[in-house]
Amino acid sequence: MYDQEKNNLSIHSRFAFFLFLLLLFISEKLRAEYLFEGITSTKKEAIGFLEKIDQTKESSYWPNVKPKLFYDNLKLNLENPKSFYPGRSTNFCSYGALSYLVMEKDPLGYVKFMNELYDKGEATLNNNRFKPSKEVMQAAGTLKFKGVLDIRHAEQIWFLALADKFKGYLNFFDKKFHEGDENTFWAATNLSKFDRMVKRVCGVHVRAVGSDLIKPWVKDIYSYLEKRIDSNTISLYINNRIIHKKNHDKIKFSIPTHYIILRQISKQDDMITLRYWDYGGETELHISNRTLKKIVFGIITIDK
Amino acid sequence: MIRFFSVILITYSLLTVSCSTKIISNNYYQEQKGTVDSIESHYEKLNAIRPFALAFTDKDLDIVSIEMISDTLTRIFEFGTNEERLKDSLLKYAYDTSGVFYLINKMQQTKITWINSVDYYVNDQPQQLIYLSIKPVTIRYLFSPPKYIALGYFRTAQSFDEKGRLLDNRRTKKIRKIKGQVFYRITDRICYTITDKYR
Repeated sequence: MYDQEKNNLSIHSRFAFFLFLLLLFISEKLRAEYLFEGITSTKKEAIGFLEKIDQTKESSYWPNVKPKLFYDNLKLNLENPKSFYPGRSTNFCSYGALSYLVMEKDPLGYVKFMNELYDKGEATLNNNRFKPSKEVMQAAGTLKFKGVLDIRHAEQIWFLALADKFKGYLNFFDKKFHEGDENTFWAATNLSKFDRMVKRVCGVHVRAVGSDLIKPWVKDIYSYLEKRIDSNTISLYINNRIIHKKNHDKIKFSIPTHYIILRQISKQDDMITLRYWDYGGETELHISNRTLKKIVFGIITIDK
Repeated sequence: MIRFFSVILITYSLLTVSCSTKIISNNYYQEQKGTVDSIESHYEKLNAIRPFALAFTDKDLDIVSIEMISDTLTRIFEFGTNEERLKDSLLKYAYDTSGVFYLINKMQQTKITWINSVDYYVNDQPQQLIYLSIKPVTIRYLFSPPKYIALGYFRTAQSFDEKGRLLDNRRTKKIRKIKGQVFYRITDRICYTITDKYR
């Protein structure tokens, strides 16, 4: 009798566990469907939209943004989505990587959003309401000595608005924009903030391994990346100071500093060739397996 | 009690001293002017044909990182300066091999750790700045950061304030920072700063 009750209880608990897993799966699936709903568009649609707009109008919300530079920049973003340039010495690299993903998914959504933000000082992108602060509105169009970002006024608005909207723990002590903050912790992005931004802005599922301080628990990073690169978009959170050394000291803090979009990976003997996108173009890097292990802190796998 | 305070005082002084690195010569540019200027002009000519940047990544300046820059792709390689692969790669991507090797040798002799061309905009028009860093002889204390002398070569005359600080333009008094650093006048188109990063 006692054994029978115990058996029933076990069946019930198994059934409850199965039900829990099923609900979890359904909720994930529902969320995925919701995330993907209606957020894809084509470059042609986006160009069509842009052609119908008066591109000479000034905006009182963005006093330092020049209409010609703003709309020329939007055109360039559509014609060459890889041209997004987060600027020299800024902390905008994560927003650059995000731009790449947005342009892959929804170029029309991007130009509509940017046009509305320019016209009205606030706008919505995939259910994310952006209302940049007055300081940010004043700063857009004034960023200088950042390379070609100096004359890309739409990108200045975009990067500043993203940094103003999304906050992580790295921004805790510097939440309000002050002049020059594009280079400081105000604009910095930790791994979970990046994941959150990608999920919310692009509406896609993101799976990340790694962290801000500890490297990912992956035995063979090369194989891990190679297996996923064809069916997913891969972003890497890397310690760029190993590739671009800044001083000759041997003892250094090993921390991640940069986000890139991995485009290709191949191996010959022990030499790994990474081809990745960052700063408005592609870079080909030849490194050893050991160096690859040393530089990678986060691997973010994004559904295509 | 007195002993306790002395220990604190000594520790404090050691920590204060340890935080600063001293550059032996304050007149480095004037002493090396001819060589440094010729390196800059040599680089300018080579870079105009096929853009690239050079950095030495080790203390002895024996390992060079070369960035070969084209419109669509930047290739980054790191080689020992004596490695055949360096020459092979320069040939493969059609660089002036002897010109680049001459530059590498001169940079090693003059302790120039990095040379690069940087674009910036004035009145929405592109301008060019050649940026190079020198590894000077320094006295370093425990925990003190390294120090480099960075030189900026502009193509046109720049504006400076009464303290010799580089300004944004003639009309404003706004100080122009490059990589977060204030630069000081050497000539009307060359300026310098002391920094703990060579790039």
